[in-house]
Order: sequence, then C-alpha cells, then structure tokens
Amino acid sequence: MKYILTILFVLMAITSWAETTIELWQFWTDPAIKPTIQNIIDDFEKANPDIKVNLTDLTWANGHEKIVLAFSSGTGPDVVELGSDWIAQFGANGHLADISKYISEDSASFQGWGMANYKNKIYGFPWILGTRVIFGNKDLLKQTQFGEDYIPISFDDLKNSSYKIQKISDNIYGWGSNTAEKHRLYKKYLPFFWTYGAQIFSDDGKYCVLPSLPAVEAMTYYKFLHDSCGYVANQRGIEDAFLDGKIGYIISGDWLLKRIELENRDINFFTTLFPGRKFPGKSFMGGEFLSINDASDNKDEALKLIRFITSPENQIKFCKANRSANPSSINAQEDEYFKSNVHLQTFIKQINLSKNPPVIPDWVYIENIIERAVEDVLFNDALPGESLREARSKIDKLRK
Amino acid sequence: MRSNRLTTLVLLLPWIITFVVFWLFPLLFSLITGFTDYSLISRNPAEWIGLENYKELLTDQDFIISIKNTFIFVFGTVPITTVIALIMAVLVNQRFKGRGIFRAGYFLPSITSMVVISLIFTNLYSRGGYIAGLASMLGFTPPEHGFLYDSSTALFSIMAMDIWMSVGYYMLIFLSGLKSIPSELYEAARIQGAGNIRQFFLITLPLLKPVALFILVINTIKSFQVFVEIFVMTQGKFETASMVYFIYETGVTTAFRFGYASAAAYILFAIIGIFSLTQFILMRRRHPLW
Repeated sequence: MKYILTILFVLMAITSWAETTIELWQFWTDPAIKPTIQNIIDDFEKANPDIKVNLTDLTWANGHEKIVLAFSSGTGPDVVELGSDWIAQFGANGHLADISKYISEDSASFQGWGMANYKNKIYGFPWILGTRVIFGNKDLLKQTQFGEDYIPISFDDLKNSSYKIQKISDNIYGWGSNTAEKHRLYKKYLPFFWTYGAQIFSDDGKYCVLPSLPAVEAMTYYKFLHDSCGYVANQRGIEDAFLDGKIGYIISGDWLLKRIELENRDINFFTTLFPGRKFPGKSFMGGEFLSINDASDNKDEALKLIRFITSPENQIKFCKANRSANPSSINAQEDEYFKSNVHLQTFIKQINLSKNPPVIPDWVYIENIIERAVEDVLFNDALPGESLREARSKIDKLRK
Repeated sequence: MRSNRLTTLVLLLPWIITFVVFWLFPLLFSLITGFTDYSLISRNPAEWIGLENYKELLTDQDFIISIKNTFIFVFGTVPITTVIALIMAVLVNQRFKGRGIFRAGYFLPSITSMVVISLIFTNLYSRGGYIAGLASMLGFTPPEHGFLYDSSTALFSIMAMDIWMSVGYYMLIFLSGLKSIPSELYEAARIQGAGNIRQFFLITLPLLKPVALFILVINTIKSFQVFVEIFVMTQGKFETASMVYFIYETGVTTAFRFGYASAAAYILFAIIGIFSLTQFILMRRRHPLW
C-alpha cells in the first residue's frame, strides 16, 4: 500500500511540475463576449494539456493603472491585452518582449503590425482592430432635398447635407459633435486632419509640423460642423441622440452596430466611408494587441497562447460574439460573416484607408496636447492656427 | 508596571502598524520621491533631482490653472456652506411640527455616495435637463450644450452641487453646538430685553465659535481636496481640474510621473496647512462685539 501511495505521490508531483501556468490579463468583460473568451481559453487548454491559463479581467476604468503597477512591481502577467496607444510606452520602458524574430510566418496574414512597431521592434500581436466610419440617418435625409439614398462623398456634401438636416426642426441636428471628452475628441478631429493631408510630425519624425495649412483647414471645417449644426455631448450621448433619430450624421465604431442589434433599435441608417477631397477619406485606426511580458519565464507558451487566440477561426468566433468588424487576421476578414454584412464591409474597407497615431512613448502626452488644442478652438473660440501653434510649442518642449 | 506597559503596547500595536504602513510610510515616501524623477512606468531607478519638480510645477500652466480652480472652489463653497448650514441649524432648532423630517431630509445628501450624486447632477445639468428647464422658466438662457460643457458654468455648477450636498452635514454639527448652549443665557437676555437678533449675535454666535472653527477647518481641508465630483462630472475639462485631479492625472494615470505628482501633493499639503493655521489664529482673536 505504502509503495502504491509513493508512486501516486511521485506521479502527481511530476504532473504538476510539468504543467505551466500562463497569466492572461484582458479587458473583454461584457457578458456578450466573456463566455466566448473563456471557451477559446478552454479549447486552448484542451489542445495543450501541459499549459494552464489563468484569466484575469481588467476594466477600462483602471486597467491601464493596474498594468503599470503590476509591471513596476515585477508582478506583471505573462500575456497582457494592450490598447495600441500604450504599446510604445510599455515597450520603450522595457516591459514587453520583442517578438520580431518569431512572427515572420505570421506577418503577411495579419494587419496592424505598424501599431506595435517601435524602433523596428514588434511588441505586440494584433488581435482585434478598430476604426470609425460615418453613420447617417436615412429618414432625416429623406426630409431634405438630398433624399434617403444620398451618400456624402466630399466635405462639401457632408457640410451641406448636415446643414439642411439641421434646418428640419429645432430638435434635429445635422452633426454629432463630441464634447471635451478624454481620449475621444482628438480621434474625431484626426480623420479630417489626415484627409486634408496634414501630418503631426515630419516624414523623418524629427519635427512637429502640426500647424500646417491643411491642419488649419481641417480644424476650420470641423469647427463649422460643430458650430452650425452640432449636437454636442459625450460619445454615449451622441449615439443615444442618433439612435433616437435626432442627428443626421455621427462618427462611430462597430460598437454602435452591436448596440443597434442588441437593443433592437428601429433606425433607418447607413454606414459610409469618410468623405474627403478625394473620396474616400482617412479614418482613425486603433486596436487591441496581445503582448508578452519581457520578464515572463514562459515566453514560448505565451506565444503559443497568443497564436491560438488570434487564429482566424478564433477571431471569427470572437467577432461574431462581439459583433466586431475588424479582425486583424486577413483570412478571417474573408469569412462569409463579414462578406454578407454591408456595414461590416464598410468597416473592413475603411480600416485599409485608416491611419494610426505615431507609435512613440510620448504619445499619451501629445494626444492630450492635441486634444486641448481642439477643445480651445471648439469651446473657447481660439483661432485654429494659434491653437495649433501653441500645441506645437508644447510638443517641442516635451520632446526636447 | 512593566506588564501594564507591555499590555498597552500590544493593544496599540494594530493601530501603530496601520498608521506606520498606510500613513507614515506613504507620507515620508512621497516627500522623498518629490525630489526624484521617479516614474511608475520606467524601469530605470529614480534619480535625485533636488527641487526640479517644484521648479517645473511653478511654471506648469496646468498646475497653475488647477490651483486657481481649487481656490475658486474653496472660496466659493466654504463660506456659503458655513453660513447656510448655520441658518438652517438655527431654523431646525426651533420647535415646529415635522422638524425631524426636515433635519433628516437636509442631512440625507451628505450620507449618499458622492459618485451617485454626481451622476444624478450630471443628468440634471445636461442639455434639456431639469436645471436648464428651471433656468429657462426663470428667464435665464441656459448654456447651449449643458451646464457642464461650458467653461463659464461648469465649475460653478459643481460648486453649487457640493454646497447642496454638504450643507446638511455641517448643519448637524452646528445643531449639536446650539444644543450645548445653556438656555439660562437666553432667559437672562430676554429678561434684560434682548430680542431674537441681539440674542443671536450676542449669545449664539460667540458660543458657537469653537464649532464654527471646527467646521471651517474641516470644510476647507475637504474642499481643497475636491476630486470625486470633478472626476465623475467633467474629468477636469472645461476649466474644472482641481489640484488633486492634477495630482491624480500626473501620478496615477497617463503620465505616471510619481515624483512630480508627489511634489504637487506636498504643495497642496503646505497650502492646506497654512490655511488651517490662519483660520485657527484668526478665530482665536476676540471679536470686538464679543
């Protein structure tokens, strides 16, 4: 008996010794998507019985702080989901593993590598990308000379049709304009900024060229929409008003499609690519990445887990559950689920015409400075040129 | 004797440990980090930079604006809250039917979560909200996009909410002060022909001085630390960022410049210290009327 117990004990010890535990921190806590994440992890564990995954949920309210504290105290997870804006900040400070040499087989099949590339090192694997498109209310357009099938192609189209919608009645607005809301307002200005041909930095990245003529034109245009026909509220407020049929056009992401579907909203709407001097215009691109902690002892297993989560079939599973429009996997984008939905197609087309902000550790500060410049123009009547010049001097001071 | 001392020490130990770990250590740690470039996100060890953080703060426009906003908040809320709380305390100290309901009703907001109240008021202050409706009824033109989305009204709207919320709490403290004034003093004053107003200024007010001092000091400290309502209602936008909000943003979000934020926290600490001390000194002086 003693002999058998000893063998059992030794076997148990060997089994537990052989098992590797991976800590994964992620942000998808919505009941619509969390079970799918858990299923993907369960499937991974079944396929890899020697690897166990501990899943920890983060919230957007304090997830960033939690990750910083974990990294700074040496208790960071093996794999962490990061927003594209954070990658350079963590990568430059040595918290993330450079996965450049492991991804040659993946690079052509996925989009979004640029957002994880800091100084020619790749610090994250693209998972789910995101862009913004124009949502339009057909019923409101029907009440104008433009008619319900109208699609704004140029900036003038958007301006004129917004203005006409505004004239329908006192409670109807042409354009949904964001208030001074952190991390949101500048994302609404940048599509116009880029479409007009402006740049934040010179091509070599050395100089800030924010106050250019196209940047001023873009700001003047955005200010016109805001002042003449803008319904000003936070993103949620704008989307609520749009779904209530009060706004002609808004800029929004795929989450609005999810809301319309899950809340069964009865709205006659269309989605279209950004207008521009040359149609289509550029939009803002961001995304969710899976990164490996540089201090992790289980980098191989971590990469295995990341490859599994981001595989085309699991991305499709994820996108179907979350109604996400932009999987990073190019093969996943070819799935019938995306091809058969006209709105998802708009997002897939737009992401190829979108730009991401510069991948630099200081972006978190620069974003704030640009946002302040937009706020000053929209809400304090500052002149676009002066406001952008002031922003440039702040950025120059920061980068000295 | 030695055994008694040991027992005292053992009984005090839980408090001492909590005090050292959660109060004294962070206090000293942040004092030291205020002189370093310590960043939570950086892997490099913190370097001693002397007074650099303090020098930078004095030229940081965001910090200067946050000081201005905090002072507006303190000077706009503390005196008004104190005066209204005193008037309310005197009123609910009278004998009338349903007095308990009034007392409880006024006190209720101060035991409600600040986050909940801030969310309710965000709604009330919004475009088409009840307060905009009320302003229109009274002949005023409310801000086009709502009270919180306009730099000229956002901070004052938060201040008004704060006064409404905290006035009941200070009323209760004044009320306890009023209860401790001997009724014989009022009887004697009445016999000598003093009316209600003279009684208030010659008896009530002087005897409430210690209570008023306590209220002024704690309300000033609390107001200098205003954060939650700003975080929930405006996220520091529309010229509402307070000093604590600045510290939070610099130290624990976006930038993670812990050293810089610690220096800002010590400037706030010094300001609060100076104000509290000044209040003590001024209130100790004898008023000529008293």
